[in-house]
Amino acid sequence: MPTHLFVKDPPVVVEGKKRGEIPPMPLERDEKSIFNFGVCDPLWDIDTFPLTYNDSRWIAFIYEARMEDLVKIVPKPLEVVDTRVEFWYVRHKWTMLGPYYEMGVTIPCVYTDEHGNEWKGGYYPYMYLTGSAATDAGRMLGFPKKCAYIVFHEHGGDVRKPDHEKDFFTCLIARNGYVIHTASGMYDDAVDAKDISPIFYGKTDWGRFNLKITSNSSLTKTVWELTYLPSEWEGKHRFQLKPETIRTASPDNIVWFGQGTPFDNMCAAIPPKELLGAIAFTFDLIIPPAQTIWTQTYTRTPSEVAKVCYSKPYRYGMRQYFPKPVGP
Amino acid sequence: MGAFGHNARVLGKDALAPGLPPEVPPFPWERDPKDILCHAYADPVFDNDILPLTYTNSRWLAFIIDVPMENLEKIVPEPLKVEDTKVEFWYVDHNHTMLGPYYEMGVTIACSYTDEHGRTYYGGYYPYMYLSQDSAIFAGREPFGFPKKKAHIRIIEHGGGYQRGELPEGTGPFKPNRYFSVFLERRGYLIHTATGYYDNAKVPMPVFYGDPKWGRFNLKLTTSPDVKRTEWALTYLPSEYEGEHRFQLRRNTIQTASPDAIETWFLQATPFDNMGEYLEGELLGLIAFNFDLIIPPAETVWTKVVERTDEDIQKHIMYSKPYQYTLRHDFPIPRYP
Repeated sequence: MPTHLFVKDPPVVVEGKKRGEIPPMPLERDEKSIFNFGVCDPLWDIDTFPLTYNDSRWIAFIYEARMEDLVKIVPKPLEVVDTRVEFWYVRHKWTMLGPYYEMGVTIPCVYTDEHGNEWKGGYYPYMYLTGSAATDAGRMLGFPKKCAYIVFHEHGGDVRKPDHEKDFFTCLIARNGYVIHTASGMYDDAVDAKDISPIFYGKTDWGRFNLKITSNSSLTKTVWELTYLPSEWEGKHRFQLKPETIRTASPDNIVWFGQGTPFDNMCAAIPPKELLGAIAFTFDLIIPPAQTIWTQTYTRTPSEVAKVCYSKPYRYGMRQYFPKPVGP
Repeated sequence: MGAFGHNARVLGKDALAPGLPPEVPPFPWERDPKDILCHAYADPVFDNDILPLTYTNSRWLAFIIDVPMENLEKIVPEPLKVEDTKVEFWYVDHNHTMLGPYYEMGVTIACSYTDEHGRTYYGGYYPYMYLSQDSAIFAGREPFGFPKKKAHIRIIEHGGGYQRGELPEGTGPFKPNRYFSVFLERRGYLIHTATGYYDNAKVPMPVFYGDPKWGRFNLKLTTSPDVKRTEWALTYLPSEYEGEHRFQLRRNTIQTASPDAIETWFLQATPFDNMGEYLEGELLGLIAFNFDLIIPPAETVWTKVVERTDEDIQKHIMYSKPYQYTLRHDFPIPRYP
């Protein structure tokens, strides 16, 4: 005899709704509370807001890059103002989007509007995450997130000690079957974080830039939006670093490998000229909605849409094959 | 002593790696900005080499469920109208696509939309969709409005023959398998699994099967970075493209299973995914087949804009308390892929 079981109200869902931890289904709510789709079961929902993070662990590799490389990958209207790049991994355990690993790059830039107002901020040309809800939530604000396999692990020494008292670290990012980057090493605390910090560290006049690019369903219109997140929110720095958790590693104690792949150009586009070291720390964070400070719209005629199509129908090449992802 | 090195080659990029295949498009910063469809500017999550978006010899397993109309009306938004209670609950195994290989799962409900001029569009609407791969998720979501989430998905057919036909047509006959097994898991919860065997019994079809008047609907929501504006766009993909059906079924690959041959079926609601709450119904059977597909750009047939003031954002959007995490904020840390 076949067994066909439909469980529409398991205890965890019934109790979660009763305690208000699972929001009501969007189509039963005020339409002003619906901002993401599928509209009956969005990828992420109102319980994500306000978007906060607790005790996340950051490791930032700091290196000098070539200005000509940075200028290539930073779009107009931004201007690169320094060559010291932050190449970072994060392990998030407690966030409004759940736990995930993250990797990204931050480049110091400025934007000056037509009235002469100047915004200073770190711009993110590359970002990778392990969770799709966090990826989509970030993309709505303009963070350029992709999904990837990411590991950031600290270990060694007394296992009862917190992460920031461990001896060693190892980081890895891989996507579509290729290792993009890996670094491992030992905290020797031989460099002073202040000596190698990018220029935006600790400055309240430096926020964060993202360039959001979205196309309509017919591909006849694409909108570019430069968004800005100020460093302060409600009178406090959004990013609360815990100074007692800072660890550093000098270049001699870091093993580093990066490569361009057919799918991800990061490590080939902005290779280090000189690695200055690594800084690790633990932090809390809040990410509010972002303001849009510049926009540009591109429209396409039907013939221009056809011109955008780079491939031949039903012909698959190198970029269409990689180990099949199974999730999760 | 540390080791420090980097490889400046980008495979397939002629400027840095002469002689490699031209299958990787030029860097975005070397192209006309009109070629760029999504962010990141320097390295987009999907690029113009996914277009035209085609699929070859994918394998579809569609469970057919008769679901009460009142449940379907709860999950289908305005301005759509539900036309039939036979729902397609499907898995797909994609091996050859412009987005690379991936697994997929979704639900299709027969719906219609009538515009202010009285023109009626008929189509399958997707309330739920899950994929195992990120480029396919965001290519589906951002321009086209497919409501895709990332999940752990498995599909296997086995027993009773050779491996099922994965090779392009002309490379050999289709060798049917006897058994099937599928599952869908997300954030530590099993959402669905089914196992069984093909008995090739007659199975009722959804109303949209094989009829060229039925296209596909998606409802895309685009929210501004300041959360003050959300645009709702109902998109429509006609069933035909350039005079042919977009979906080319390979008839010699059809297999079916009666409800009794679907030996196990488990579907549950979870704290993160409510599909199991609304799709309880009578299982009518399973239809499996191989197909080719092309997905062109979609037309937008209806829009609505919802604006929010600062007060609206506080009242309707800020649901949680800062730095206080609950049931929905804790699950096994995702490992992609």
